[in-house]
Amino acid sequence: MTVRTRWLVPALLASTAALAAQGQATAYLGARILPGGGPPIENGVLVVAGGKIVAVGGQGTAVPAGAATVDCAGRTITPGLIDASFRGGAALADLNEQGEEVTPHLRALDCLDPDDPAFARALAAGVTTVHVMPGTRNVIGGLGCVVKTAGAEPAARVLKDAASLRIVMGAEPSMGNRAIRGGRVDSIYYRRPTTRMGVVWEVRKAFHDARQALEQSVGAAPSPPSPGREVLARVLRGELTAYTTARSEQDIRTALRIAAEFGYQTVIDEAQDAYVVADELAAAKVTVLLGAPSAPQVAGPGSADGAEPRYATARLLAERGIPFVITTGSNFAALDLVREAMFAARNGMSVAQALDAVTIAPARLLGIDGRTGSLAPGKDADFVVWSHDPLDPAAVAESVHIDGNPVPASR
Amino acid sequence: MKRSPTWAVLAPVCAAAALCCRPAAAQDLLLQARRIVIAADTVLDDGRVLVRQGKVAYVGADVPAESRARRLDYGDATIVPGFVLAHATLGQERDLAERALPFTPDLRAAEAFDPWHKELLPLPRHGITAAALSPAPTNVAGGIAALVKTGRDRGVLGADLHLMLSLAAPARDPERPPTSLMGAVDLLRRAFDATQKGQATGPDAAVLRQALQGTRAVFVHADTFAELNAALDLGRDFGLRLVLVSARDAGKVLPRLAQQQAAVVLDTLQPEARLAQLQLPTRLAEAGVPFCFAGRPELLRRSAALAVRHGLDRRTALMALTRVPAALLDQTGSLGALRQGCAADFAVFTGDPLDLDSAHVATWVDGALVAGREPARTAAPAAATAAGVR
Amino acid sequence: MNRFLPIATAALLVAAPATAQDVLAVKGGRVVTVTGPSIDDGVVLIQNGRIARIAKAADVEIPWTAKVIDATGKVVMPTWVIAHSQGGQRGFNENMQNVPWLSVADAIDPAALYFEEALRSGVGTIHVLPGNQTLLGGSGMVVRPFGRTVEDMAVSARTGIKLSLLASGGGRLQQIRRLRRALEDVREYLADYERRKAEFEQEKAAGAVPADKTWTEELDRTKKPACDLVQKKTKGWLFVPTVAELEEALRLCQQLDLVLVLGANIDEGVPLLKRLGQPVVLDDEIEYFETDEETQKERKVCPPKLLADAGVPFALSLGLGGPTSHPWWQLGTCVRNGVDRQRAIEALTTVPARLLGLGDQVGALAEGMLGNLQILTGDPLQATSWVDTVVLDGEVVYERSQDPKLKYLFARDLAPAAKPAEGGGQTPKAGPEGNGDATGGGAGANGKPKDGGR
Repeated sequence: MTVRTRWLVPALLASTAALAAQGQATAYLGARILPGGGPPIENGVLVVAGGKIVAVGGQGTAVPAGAATVDCAGRTITPGLIDASFRGGAALADLNEQGEEVTPHLRALDCLDPDDPAFARALAAGVTTVHVMPGTRNVIGGLGCVVKTAGAEPAARVLKDAASLRIVMGAEPSMGNRAIRGGRVDSIYYRRPTTRMGVVWEVRKAFHDARQALEQSVGAAPSPPSPGREVLARVLRGELTAYTTARSEQDIRTALRIAAEFGYQTVIDEAQDAYVVADELAAAKVTVLLGAPSAPQVAGPGSADGAEPRYATARLLAERGIPFVITTGSNFAALDLVREAMFAARNGMSVAQALDAVTIAPARLLGIDGRTGSLAPGKDADFVVWSHDPLDPAAVAESVHIDGNPVPASR
Repeated sequence: MKRSPTWAVLAPVCAAAALCCRPAAAQDLLLQARRIVIAADTVLDDGRVLVRQGKVAYVGADVPAESRARRLDYGDATIVPGFVLAHATLGQERDLAERALPFTPDLRAAEAFDPWHKELLPLPRHGITAAALSPAPTNVAGGIAALVKTGRDRGVLGADLHLMLSLAAPARDPERPPTSLMGAVDLLRRAFDATQKGQATGPDAAVLRQALQGTRAVFVHADTFAELNAALDLGRDFGLRLVLVSARDAGKVLPRLAQQQAAVVLDTLQPEARLAQLQLPTRLAEAGVPFCFAGRPELLRRSAALAVRHGLDRRTALMALTRVPAALLDQTGSLGALRQGCAADFAVFTGDPLDLDSAHVATWVDGALVAGREPARTAAPAAATAAGVR
Repeated sequence: MNRFLPIATAALLVAAPATAQDVLAVKGGRVVTVTGPSIDDGVVLIQNGRIARIAKAADVEIPWTAKVIDATGKVVMPTWVIAHSQGGQRGFNENMQNVPWLSVADAIDPAALYFEEALRSGVGTIHVLPGNQTLLGGSGMVVRPFGRTVEDMAVSARTGIKLSLLASGGGRLQQIRRLRRALEDVREYLADYERRKAEFEQEKAAGAVPADKTWTEELDRTKKPACDLVQKKTKGWLFVPTVAELEEALRLCQQLDLVLVLGANIDEGVPLLKRLGQPVVLDDEIEYFETDEETQKERKVCPPKLLADAGVPFALSLGLGGPTSHPWWQLGTCVRNGVDRQRAIEALTTVPARLLGLGDQVGALAEGMLGNLQILTGDPLQATSWVDTVVLDGEVVYERSQDPKLKYLFARDLAPAAKPAEGGGQTPKAGPEGNGDATGGGAGANGKPKDGGR
């Protein structure tokens, strides 16, 4: 393929943008289609209309009469990638409310900047949907949201405003705090927790209070409503999934133990040491988020947690049937999501598994698989046309489509 | 004139100060100039303004020559309504923010007003005749703004203006909660929600209730896309009369601003700012979003001139200095125009105030000269007669 | 955090030292010669440490004494050549600013992890130079990342001295002034030396000095390398941190024999570099984003693409960690930004080899060149390809199936007990090998059959 033809495709796509908006069908022909969660389709056909996928299949797939066609020969089409733990979209200080250590009711959505360059960057690398959680400096940080990385209007980009409750184990939530040792106490940072024990204590106390309130509400006079407690009650009732950030073996075990103690469902986020506790993870039937598998070092201040990533982790989880999702997570050294999947493939996972771990698997985990995560009729037309196989280091997202609209590749 | 309790204490002092200007105030004044801007869209060529008891008694070309009026002829100059600052802290930030607490909606800026503060003195020199003294943006809910005038008697014209909120960076203080935008938004949402459900009582809730009922406008300091969206969300969810202050990224939420009928109070425009920033006034005007200029008083005219340079039409620019801020402060009856019955607040420039080569000549507040000079020559009776005949 | 540190390089190397008469044959792989056409099912014969023959398997008879490596289904290509690196040294930035007499030979640590990683990545030739923070920093040295002593590793010494325009207190202009002053001092010293020598000869000719006396004074040892530089007897490797210093660098290029080692953010300098018309060495960050001040939009910048378009040859560098430490990542980055694949490969082989004056020794597979090659499991530009074997001077120096670090990172038995004790000193074999991982973790990583190796 010459460079010349490569630039032709985006130009063609741009001209179909108007058509897509009007609901007219557009057919993408001749590409290798990796639909997500299914076998690859050689020389495939993808038909999109009204922002939705109308048909996807092999060469024989019917193309509606009057549909605009885009020749994608030599390209690969995948669903838009989904980053189930995306650090970006807001200033870090705004994602960490330091006034309290337990803030379950705070919403990451409230501080998202729809124009944050992180979205544009993710989009250019083929990511169409991200899950943004509050930061990792609080024991219970708050509610995560799922948004698309582009769209006509910020409100239309929101898929879920409360998709998760972030809980953080380990040293990070206690790092900024100081112990009160007499003398002047002139800062909000003189408070618990200052230890791992303190972190666990805060989680346990929060859920204990929430459970107490739930039990009391039957018969007895209702305790005064507390927004945080209501969120925790939703977790206890199984209506909301907790995402517990636990990097080291010790923290993963603690996260599983507390979830079991209160009987709530959790996802283990940034589980670098998952390979050590594979049996426990399998038994607890939890999903594992693997943050930045490319990074040789554990994320940021979390390195104090003593976790030790290994190349074999992703492959091992795949072999053990432990559901897992590849994310960029809180690691500053994280690469584009597609490159993280590439590193997972480099380290021994099958290409199909690596790709599923950034498309259909996160969609199922976040409960948005009805709308995105794979290429199937009826789903949002979120897809990427890649110059090469997406896990080739030379691959670039030639065009990224959200709701059928090719998003201008500004970069 | 409505006066604050504090003001009553200071009244004797000011009475003395007012003495010196009494002769001028008592006598009717007849001013004339080449151009008199009655309102941004009504300009009078070679007209007169009759000032009586500190108010505009008559304005027009055919003012009958009144023998008792003192006649002042500003010659080739232009008379415009005094500029109104819809948001100002006037160098009194320290007294306009309760630093220990993030949420103080019932505090009153009027109580922090120092009529002899040095920052107040230069305002008339920049054509400013009234300003809304507002709680500083360091509090999530700062309190209630006050309307002050820059006239000789330095009164608090209204102590009970809009409620000032802030989601901007200064409101998120790392040393007290909330430290994050998430927390700040939550704090406001929860407070309005509790008030709406009748769960909250006390003076804070009373102020919020007025905001919910629409009887009190809500000014929100917000700059970034995220902050503006959060403010607009609050406005939508609780039906607030919303004015966004500073609003750096307002260009990104134009459709929402228009849809929710929110207004914008702009900060100082800097010549070195990004083009998008300098074109923001034009884009706001095109989208039909009411806006006014504010920020540093000495750069107010420059802001408007920069906006004109970047495409804003002069009429809208002048509105944004006079009529719009007066409207945002609910003072259209007395401020922002030189119509009959309005306060005789005006500024005199050698030419169009939106041209930076026009010099400031004088500023009059409530019919009294507070800055600049009277014209060197008084109007010749013959000329007055001629005008009267015409 | 890195617990591999104790596992020293020594443990990597299992090959017995080759004797001079050894013949090594690599057969069955796809031979990528870089300078010539690629050969499927080819054979590379290495004799006495040099490549004796490259041909189709059918056309070669492998001597029965040869040690044979079966590379069937794999890719055989020259080891990578790194034109400029600060890795593998213990302290590479001398605090004193003007120290041209120093040499990296005294800083290179043969046991450094850097060399171990280099072998793992298929790097066979490294030009080690002093750091970027010293004005006149001392001599560099070309080494291979294998050997117990610096002498073992040496490929060529006296490869030139390092110069840097990186502002070291006092700002950019000050640094430029300092460098000019330093070079001027050397010139003055040389002129003075020559004058005194000429006077001596004159006096001798006039009979004032006994005829049997000869001029014995040598150049000052601490000034000699700098003298060689100003006399163009040796190369200078000039670090140019930003575009702002580029004009000065070009000026210096007219006086000295310089190779420019560029900083990361150099894209605006491409027209100047085109004017210079010499190959340059790039920073390891070759893809970055620039924010437009006005629109706040980010723009991707890839200097190799700009240089390729301008026709300026360039050598790539490898980072000391992160993705840019992988040759396949660097090459992939070039290709995805539109650089021709062959040109990208040349930027890690022939271009740096020529810059080092080793164009006829390394950087390609050709008869008569040094017997340096790597055997990869697949295409060198794919993330899923691994370096299986590295041969330097006809000697197998790395085998993935024996690599303790990879064995450890890919170990299947992941019981916590297998973790080496934190900071646990000299326990090179405690982890993976003591664990009895008989399947050879690395080889099994891709679910591929265990490679026969040798």
